[in-house]
Amino acid sequence: MNRALFRAMFKQQRKKIAAISTGIFLYEGLLTWVYPVVAKNPAVVQVAESIPSAVKTVFGVPENARTDTFEAFISGQFFSRIWVMLMAFHGIQTANALLAKMIDDCSLALLLSTPVSRGEILSTQAGVLVGSGAVLVAVTIGGLFFGTSRFGITIDHGNYIRLGILGLALFTLIELYSLFFSAWLVEGERAVTYAAGLTLLFYSLDIVGGLSDKYSWLRNLSLFRWFQPQSILEGTTNPAGSIIGLNAFSAVLWYYAKRVFERQDLAI
Amino acid sequence: MIEVKELNKLYSEGRGIRNLNFQVDFGKAFGFLGPNGAGKTTTIRLLMGFLKPDSGRVTINELDCWREKAEVKKIVSYLPGELHFMESLTALDFLDLIARMHGNKRQIKRNRDYLASVLELDLKILIGKMSKGMKQKLGIIAALMLDKRVLILDEPTSGLDPLMQKVFIDLILEEKKRGKTLFMSSHQFVEIDRTCEHVGIIREGELLTIQSISQLRDAEHQTFEIEVENEEELEFLKQRQLNLFNIQGKSCIIRITGEMDKLWLALTQVHVISFRQRSLDLEEAFMDFYR
Repeated sequence: MNRALFRAMFKQQRKKIAAISTGIFLYEGLLTWVYPVVAKNPAVVQVAESIPSAVKTVFGVPENARTDTFEAFISGQFFSRIWVMLMAFHGIQTANALLAKMIDDCSLALLLSTPVSRGEILSTQAGVLVGSGAVLVAVTIGGLFFGTSRFGITIDHGNYIRLGILGLALFTLIELYSLFFSAWLVEGERAVTYAAGLTLLFYSLDIVGGLSDKYSWLRNLSLFRWFQPQSILEGTTNPAGSIIGLNAFSAVLWYYAKRVFERQDLAI
Repeated sequence: MIEVKELNKLYSEGRGIRNLNFQVDFGKAFGFLGPNGAGKTTTIRLLMGFLKPDSGRVTINELDCWREKAEVKKIVSYLPGELHFMESLTALDFLDLIARMHGNKRQIKRNRDYLASVLELDLKILIGKMSKGMKQKLGIIAALMLDKRVLILDEPTSGLDPLMQKVFIDLILEEKKRGKTLFMSSHQFVEIDRTCEHVGIIREGELLTIQSISQLRDAEHQTFEIEVENEEELEFLKQRQLNLFNIQGKSCIIRITGEMDKLWLALTQVHVISFRQRSLDLEEAFMDFYR
């Protein structure tokens, strides 16, 4: 990792990270502000329980899960779908901006004309990518701690930190396959199409697999089956296995991304 | 210092370079001329280790440009033909980044400040707000401030005004005095003429010739647009065995190779209304190779 390049690249991402962080923080503030009102209204719980399980699946609420807890509320309203999509979009877009786009517009040429190796430049870009994801995860979990404490909602902080670590592992994997596509295809538009297409495929498999028992096997093909926020926040699932599995995939992808990039013809 | 041997690199659409051979000795300057799409930039990308040769060998200081690309860059400064920077940085931030990636020696910063003053570039400006010419100056500073033994420059004066082109040539001459080895591609004969000892001409991926600048100068054409007072005077010029063409009324174009005496003698005997030397561009100087 090259420290000077890391600083310059992170500086480039600063505004975008600040904007997304502010959005997440405000949205979490809104949810934690609204929740005490919702929780006091038994009709809301009845409505939530009356929703068919297939519809709940679409919103990322597991079958037979409780609907009367803050964990159920925050998972359904934020973690299961909105957060995942937001972070996936951020990962795909940032990976593309840090590599494929710089090859497309030749701005990588001046960096590659220095004695810093391709591998080190890619490590630095990956560091910026994963680092910016980590900042957003930290802001998400920190923002929730702030909101719940501000509005008197009791939570198990450990479970939220575990969810943050699992989220980081999942988003790192998405970021790394996006980076792999950038290194392999060396063309911004195709790289973003492949990365977004694969993510949407995983997302669709997760939803379709949850709609009926007949198709439930499809969920096993999706990355998102490793990410079940409500059960982790309620403490009924230990995410350690998922974290190790996701990190193992990330390590393999990183190895191949670096190998491909070091041997790639770059018309810059 | 720079050695290219039987180098081949073909793209899928058939473009590229074929069987390129040349060498640039230590402390010498080599100009690389050719029309757009001739293979100049591909050759430079191979020298910089951005592309892997299909076959053949390209080395700088006996280091293989593909296999030892990071090592090669310890002795090479590069100015790309297509300049794109990180737009949200200031020029100063960008040059600091490049300096740090090269080891951040104190001398680099001194060189940077000197070059910025000579090229009249305000380093505090955001790159995103710079004109093409300003970005070109920034690229030149980034390449020259590093004080490397080898300079690889791809169309270095593109986008510079004539005054700055002259400043650039002076800077390159300074670098040459300090023993730098130079490889420079260009469309501008003038800058190659002023700075290089040898010139290679490439067309459709093949090296047509390598000549010394002095050899070329002997064979150099100079072209003038001349208007005389009447058609009889034009007829008189024709009879002086001058190479006249594109004759229109009282004006014509005259091409001279070698000595100019014959032209001056003829012109003293007519009334010249207008006389203009055409700039010696690439096509003019290397017409024979292009035909």
